[in-house]
Amino acid sequence: MLDKLSTSLKDAVKKLAGKTVIDRASVEELVKELQRALIQADVNVKLVMNLSQAIKTRSLDEEPLKGMSVREHVLRIVYQELVKLMGPVTTVPLQSQKILMAGLQGSGKTTTTAKLARYFQKKGLKVGVICADTYRPGAYTQISTLCERINVPCFGDPKNPDAIQLVKEGLNSLKSAEVIIIDTQGRHALEESLIDEIIELNILTKADHRWLVIDAALGQQAREQAERFHAAVNIDGVLITKMDGTAKGGGALSAVAATGSGIVFIGQGETVDDIERFDPDGFISRLLGMGDLKALVERAEESLKPDDVNVQAMLAGKFTLRDMYKQLEALNKMGPLKQIISMLPLGNVELPSEAVDVTSTKMGKYRIIMDSMNNAELDDPTLISGSRIQRIARGSGSHPEEVRELLKHYKMMKKMLKGVKGAGQGGFSLQKIMKRMGGA
Amino acid sequence: MFDGLKKTLQGVKEKFNSEIIDNEESDKLENILTREEPVENHGFVEKVKVFITDREFIISSEALNEPLSELEFALLESDVALSVTEEISGHIKKDLTGKRRKIGEPVDKIIEESLRSALLQVLGEGINFPEFIRSKKKPVKMLFTGVNGTGKTTTIAKVGNYLKKNGFSVVIGAGDTYRAGAIDQIDIHAERLGIKVIEHQEGADPSAVLFDTVQYAESHGIDVVLADTAGRFHNKVNLMNQLSKMKRVMKPDMVIYVDEAVAGNDAVTRSDEFQRSIGIDAIILTKADMDSRGGAAISIAHTLGKPLIFLGSGQGYDDLMPFIPEKIVNDLLGESPNA
Repeated sequence: MLDKLSTSLKDAVKKLAGKTVIDRASVEELVKELQRALIQADVNVKLVMNLSQAIKTRSLDEEPLKGMSVREHVLRIVYQELVKLMGPVTTVPLQSQKILMAGLQGSGKTTTTAKLARYFQKKGLKVGVICADTYRPGAYTQISTLCERINVPCFGDPKNPDAIQLVKEGLNSLKSAEVIIIDTQGRHALEESLIDEIIELNILTKADHRWLVIDAALGQQAREQAERFHAAVNIDGVLITKMDGTAKGGGALSAVAATGSGIVFIGQGETVDDIERFDPDGFISRLLGMGDLKALVERAEESLKPDDVNVQAMLAGKFTLRDMYKQLEALNKMGPLKQIISMLPLGNVELPSEAVDVTSTKMGKYRIIMDSMNNAELDDPTLISGSRIQRIARGSGSHPEEVRELLKHYKMMKKMLKGVKGAGQGGFSLQKIMKRMGGA
Repeated sequence: MFDGLKKTLQGVKEKFNSEIIDNEESDKLENILTREEPVENHGFVEKVKVFITDREFIISSEALNEPLSELEFALLESDVALSVTEEISGHIKKDLTGKRRKIGEPVDKIIEESLRSALLQVLGEGINFPEFIRSKKKPVKMLFTGVNGTGKTTTIAKVGNYLKKNGFSVVIGAGDTYRAGAIDQIDIHAERLGIKVIEHQEGADPSAVLFDTVQYAESHGIDVVLADTAGRFHNKVNLMNQLSKMKRVMKPDMVIYVDEAVAGNDAVTRSDEFQRSIGIDAIILTKADMDSRGGAAISIAHTLGKPLIFLGSGQGYDDLMPFIPEKIVNDLLGESPNA
């Protein structure tokens, strides 16, 4: 479903390519596809309508920057408006602080608390956790088990139903900790007594941060819940959890808009290490199912030296295993091939997904296999026959089947690049395109 | 739950009403103007004929466009997934376009019936849960599954409570051996409710736990087995395989998919994935008290085509409401005049 959506979004973008004047119909079509993509990603319907209006007006009224094509002009505006939607950039200073966790039941507060403890611990700070969830059975066992695994002290008492008193005692007992994280009971903003409790906890702890945990799958409800929490304790950061599923996390943007804060962390996995600082560009790319625009631009500028990937030669059909090796090395620095390909102006070429979906472990394996080939084989892969495959497999400690798979992949890449050659019309520079895309 | 949707639907109904009445008036006017010189346009002549002879009026598709897009907007804002929204509005459009309406028949009745049939079609038929259990051979085995944090464990406690009150004996299998504190959680619930729990250690093979639970139920003549499982994402192949194994070992009479009422568009994606990888027989929607919209119910019910049994509506053990589609739809649109 979403694949289809991002394809139609790409189609809408493609229609802009080659145009010299911006025409209203194409922009409207693009905006419509964008609306669909965002609504499917659970972004608040009203936010979507505002955003699409802004994109429409700006695309049609603003003069394109000098030397920018119509397509680049519109994409740049889309990108800028989306970044605006992400809220302000948040900072997480590595210093003594108290963090109060708020959120709905089942949004993943407890797991996230443990992950945050791990994050600050890895940064060299002394961390302590207080379990103020006195309601849910097993809550203390859960957080104390997780804390034990990472050797973080955890204060709590499942027999004491008074959260306020617990936190008081906890603050006393964890005096030596630099970062104190307080896990609270899951609540929804319509439960008055629970809201009163978190207000009291906020006053008592004088928390430096009050972070709202939002499930990536949360829908239109996110806005209302965030508003209430914000009114109660003045939320200053949003954490998105469960990004390892298929949910797009658009609800978090409603929370951002409602609280005027930004997204701080993203949780994506079940172990305590599965937490990342928020990267707006990666998020936009996921939201829209398009390549990671900005990060790719930056990474490309940093890591891509002209001889790393010889696009021109590749397009001219001179693509050997040696090129693939170089490419794999460059990709290690730049990220998945799929994203890079999605940046290239390829016209209407459909790329076979088997060709571009290579996992990083597999890429590593391929490089080892290629290290066991000799120069002649790298330059002319057709030389590689049965006995050579045996030798390469033995030399690289892999299975002959894997060597064959590599060759198959190489052939697919080569075929794909041949197809690109026709559509790309040659004569473009990868760096130039990337630079333009990111120019703000 | 559903209050928000109810309010917006009422608004949309009025909108339909005014659009169609406007259209009708302009028709009358044109009819008077053109009575003496018949127009070539077949569609128009047809309309005039209908107006004169049958005193009926045809609803045109143009007249529907605006109120329909308003309806779509209302559904989207209520968390009905995009794909499902489009289907509902398509259904109504098809149903209403070209419909002949006798003068004097109120417009809102036609629209209401159309909306009602669209919603009922989407929500499907309910299920009588106690009836279902009585119809099966003892012990009746229920496997609960869903993504993380939807409230499976709490729901099992509530269902256990419900069944006990309906005179069934119950045993719970603590199949969530992964999440820290999960066994503890189900233990405490079960102790409060006086239900036996079969459990192994944290990290044990959940299939083995469930196998033992079924064995226990068989040897002790227990009516119902409720099997808890760890929350898992549908895109993790290993975890889904583990779930399939549980299903093979336990042979449940009913696989119950638990999701939350506050979920947005992902509700469609993930329920569909669970359906495809292990098959779902029934649905329970939790956290209904948090959401005044109720769109997820419509999205999931439509995607799976399986009955919703219960809505979880609070933190107490009795906060579990049987889901009856007609009741929900009546609640949304008012009682059906034909019922």
